[in-house]
Amino acid sequence: MEMLTKILNLIIVLILPFLMIGVIKKTKAFWGGRKGAPVFQPLFDFIKLIKKDFVISKTVSFVFSLAPLVILACTLFAALFIPLGTGSAVINIEAGLIIFAYILGLSKFFTLIGAMDTGSSFEGMGASREACFTSIVEPAFFMIIASAMALSGNLTFDSLSKILVNAGGYGVLIVIFAVLALFLMLLIEGCRVPVDDPATHLELTMIHEVMILDNSAFDLAVISYSASLKMLLISSLIAKLIIPETVSAVEYLGFYLLVVFAISVITGTIESSTARLRMTHIFEFIFVMSSFALIILSLTVARMFGG
Amino acid sequence: MIYFIGILILLITAFALLPQAFEVLLTGSTITKVFDFNPLFGPVDFVLDPLSAFFAVIILIMSPLALIYAKGYLKPYQDKGKSINSHVVFFVTLALSMLAVVTCQNALGFLICWEIMSLSSFFLVIFENEKKEILNAGVKYLVFMHISVIFIIIAFAMMSIKAGSYDFSTFSMVLANNPHFRDVVFLLALIGFGVKAGFVPFHNWLPEAHPAAPSHVSAIMSGVMIKTGIYGILRILSLGGCPSKALCYAVLGISIITFLYGILYAIGQNDVKKMLAYSSIENIGIIGSGLGVSLIGIAYNQPVVALLGLAGGILHILNHSIFKLLLFFGAGCVYLKTHTRDMEILGGLVKNMPKTAGLFLAASLAICALPSFNGLISEFLIYFGMLKALSIKSFFAFLILIFAVSSLAFVGTMAILCFTKAFSVIFLGNPRGENASAVKEDAPLTMLCPMGALAAFALGIGLLPEIIFKTLLWPVITVIGNWHGIGFKHALTPETLSDMLSQQSTILSTLGFTAFGLVLLILIFAILKKALNRKVESASTWGCGYNRTLLNAQYTGSSYVSPFLAMLKPLFKKVFDVKKPKEIFPKSAHFSLHIEDIEEAYVISPMVKFDEWFLSKFEKIQGGNLQTYIKYGLAFLILLIIGSFLIG
Repeated sequence: MEMLTKILNLIIVLILPFLMIGVIKKTKAFWGGRKGAPVFQPLFDFIKLIKKDFVISKTVSFVFSLAPLVILACTLFAALFIPLGTGSAVINIEAGLIIFAYILGLSKFFTLIGAMDTGSSFEGMGASREACFTSIVEPAFFMIIASAMALSGNLTFDSLSKILVNAGGYGVLIVIFAVLALFLMLLIEGCRVPVDDPATHLELTMIHEVMILDNSAFDLAVISYSASLKMLLISSLIAKLIIPETVSAVEYLGFYLLVVFAISVITGTIESSTARLRMTHIFEFIFVMSSFALIILSLTVARMFGG
Repeated sequence: MIYFIGILILLITAFALLPQAFEVLLTGSTITKVFDFNPLFGPVDFVLDPLSAFFAVIILIMSPLALIYAKGYLKPYQDKGKSINSHVVFFVTLALSMLAVVTCQNALGFLICWEIMSLSSFFLVIFENEKKEILNAGVKYLVFMHISVIFIIIAFAMMSIKAGSYDFSTFSMVLANNPHFRDVVFLLALIGFGVKAGFVPFHNWLPEAHPAAPSHVSAIMSGVMIKTGIYGILRILSLGGCPSKALCYAVLGISIITFLYGILYAIGQNDVKKMLAYSSIENIGIIGSGLGVSLIGIAYNQPVVALLGLAGGILHILNHSIFKLLLFFGAGCVYLKTHTRDMEILGGLVKNMPKTAGLFLAASLAICALPSFNGLISEFLIYFGMLKALSIKSFFAFLILIFAVSSLAFVGTMAILCFTKAFSVIFLGNPRGENASAVKEDAPLTMLCPMGALAAFALGIGLLPEIIFKTLLWPVITVIGNWHGIGFKHALTPETLSDMLSQQSTILSTLGFTAFGLVLLILIFAILKKALNRKVESASTWGCGYNRTLLNAQYTGSSYVSPFLAMLKPLFKKVFDVKKPKEIFPKSAHFSLHIEDIEEAYVISPMVKFDEWFLSKFEKIQGGNLQTYIKYGLAFLILLIIGSFLIG
């Protein structure tokens, strides 16, 4: 059983990120009235990129070639701390939140310096924006998870599922706002519309894509994979919040996949129905997440100290 | 010659005292040496207890490293014919006086050592005293230090009058029995030592003094000396017990403000050493927040919270001294080669100074508390303490702790912003000016070796958190162990602590596993990438089809942080220096942005201005005229005679 869950987790980590992107693209194609590429196309792209040769800028140093490796290693390692399809994290410890966040911080650090290493003004612009957005997202994320953990009385990610059942009416409200906030975080960190458009073709308007303009072959493949894995990790947290802990393991897996694909479809639908926000308005969009975090905090306080 | 004697003295002291200090740290014993300075003020105890030993270890390791590094750094000055003898003497004096400060257990002796420490560091700061701005910065430092010492003297005087002795051991009785007296003393000590440590709003001397001093001096001041302020606060706590709840909250509140303020300004700076000075303020805030959480844990009888917060805070003292020394050394190497501290005109140094760049990168990762390095361990302990404290059933504690957790997260991301800026603007991309492109070779080995040792320490602590945590137990017990009964229900002994520790051991081992695992995973992927054996074609950076590299079009530090600073506009005073292009074929244009400290601009400067105005009213009294002075003397004598008649 132990072995089985490990294998299952591995399959989820390796395959599901590609499928998520595939489903998002399929949804966009559906709304656009096209047939679209097969859902496994991102995986095929990954393999194709791995086979290619590198083109590397003359300006770059060791940082540039180190960055993709660090990003991949960090994102994979961070996956150990998040409850995936089995409903329990591989490393289920107290305050896993902090280790998880700081591992992703390391990957962010290398994304930024990898971009700055090329000496390109476009990539500097992307790095600058990315760093700025993260700095607003992260405190809100900590506030949400810490409130939720305080409410469930346990500092592990696995305890997130307790809130919906145990905390009564407040619990339902908190879960709703937490899911909304985490979904916004997924759009921001995953660089999806309306924050960033992964399909854009103008360097000046890109954020994440512009940071990897000079990456090629293996580097580009692993960076894209890591970005989608990060989306999967945030979706897994959403799934953990929604699915009550009373369900059996098999049911959990079913619900989990349902949630992940639902998120992909919703993301795809949003991308088809809205345009990217103007750069100056993105801050306002991100602050929506912060205000959700404050709402969650006040609900938690009301539940814990209210009458 | 003097230089080698200096190194010898520091090394001998280190070799003589380090084994003893480690023994004290691991076994919790104390070593006492009594020096009899009669007839001045009686016998003075120098005690090496676990808390002193912890600071002594830092001082004993860091000072020789800094002096070794100084050789290469001071060489250009020596070549110009400047003597470094007095500089070395003051440096050794500073190291020894810091050692005396953390071991002396007598109020008078402590104050004397404290003053020697402040003065010797003042002379170190004004090494380039022929430059006016450096002298100004030094004087400002001196003034702040003496404001600090006033509060410390008052605190110690109050205690020694009440206790009737200058000995620290007699103070604890006085403090334990009078809660209000204890709060007053603690508040005074918090302000006095807080100025030294650099807590906001007493931080203003740091961003002035650090850039003025030579790099190894700023490193020691920022990495080691300001920690004596923290030591003072911890020592008062260990004597007196936990202050009232309001003060516990105040410590946490001030710390939160300090770390947010520090990092916000660090982001805005273009002078690399000023940036590092502000980042020291941030780290002092983090240390203080660990202390604050621990005090709240004590106030609400939560031993685990108390242990985690204090252990995290104390470990962060060591960690910060490691990576801050490394960063200042790195900045010093860059200054040595490029003769500028302005990041905006650097760039591309990684090609010709790869070792410095790598070490600076390691330090940046460590200070951002990223995995595999030491910063994460201490910040994790503090975070963990905060999260554990969320179970306290108090509305106010819950709110402030949630905000503490999210502000610490905010600081974490801002540190990433700050240090990605510093590292990439100094070392990556293409050179932005003559200073950077003229660099041909890396810094000399005498400078790189101490830096390598520091990087090894940083990595070592990150990889082996369990071992390091064990050395923290005794200092923690020294501070809070004897509070049993004075407002704290739990007796903290080595047994109860290791009991608590075994409950948390999975977490520490997970931290170690993470550090190892990440390094291993990166290595595996590196080998995989190598094994793929793809061809590498060299091309120029993508510039929308434009293939020449445009050096001036690169992102600068100011532009990198500008979206972030624009968001937090009201918190800064921005000073623009703009020269717009005018003619059809503009010859020159110029833009630069300078971030000024709001406290400096709106509080300190007006205060100094008022002071100057007020004092200028009294200028007439001292006119330099001999007759006037004789008149004063006569008036004084007459007053004295009349007075003695009236009283007598």
